[in-house]
Amino acid sequence: MKKAIIVMNELKREGLIKDYAIGGAIGALKWVEPFFTRDLDIFIILIKEPEKGEVMMLSPLYEYLKKRGYNKWVEQWIIIDDVPVEFIPAEGVSKESVENALEVEFEGIRTKVMRPEYLIALFLKAGRDKDIRKIEMLLRQTKIDMEKLKDILRRYDLLKKFKRFMKGQNGR
Amino acid sequence: MEDEKIRILTKDNKVMTLKKLFEEKERLRKKQANLSFEEKIRALIVLQKIASSWGGKKDVIVWKL
Repeated sequence: MKKAIIVMNELKREGLIKDYAIGGAIGALKWVEPFFTRDLDIFIILIKEPEKGEVMMLSPLYEYLKKRGYNKWVEQWIIIDDVPVEFIPAEGVSKESVENALEVEFEGIRTKVMRPEYLIALFLKAGRDKDIRKIEMLLRQTKIDMEKLKDILRRYDLLKKFKRFMKGQNGR
Repeated sequence: MEDEKIRILTKDNKVMTLKKLFEEKERLRKKQANLSFEEKIRALIVLQKIASSWGGKKDVIVWKL
């Protein structure tokens, strides 16, 4: 994973992306007990943000990676040093999640990981069973700033969904 | 309620209720949540190895740290 982080930092340094942060399961893993996952989700802010309806161009990134020798794909993942990586263009709540991500070190390399309040919002938005399980873990196993969480959820119209989720939790 | 009545024999011949056992599990989970990021990724790699070999999930790619 260290190599994938080094590559992400290169992409930023080379001006191919404005910023990035680790999200998804590995983002959650930063805050909760270890659990199984297959891939590394990297949310990226592009240098030139597309206009509404415009196609997000990830091809310059893939071209760069190809030149660096990373040309193996498995389904939607590009393999960087045995780690399946998925690039997800950040917009809306995910863009704000990248902008407010926590700077951490992994094996001595600087990187950014999404904060738990934003991860909850993103998992809630996705709403699959596996996302719901991650929300439960985050709420139980790490300290959540509830005011901050509610503010994010309110601004991105997710508060009702969260209340329904919490109601379901209390009913268990 | 039943969990408070059911008693089980654990390691070192310790008797505890099922409720206590679940509480212990939750405590351990919170403790594991405080491991370093690197330690968690190491644990994930072990889980991927288990899924790939013992679990028979041949499509799982075992990461490099």
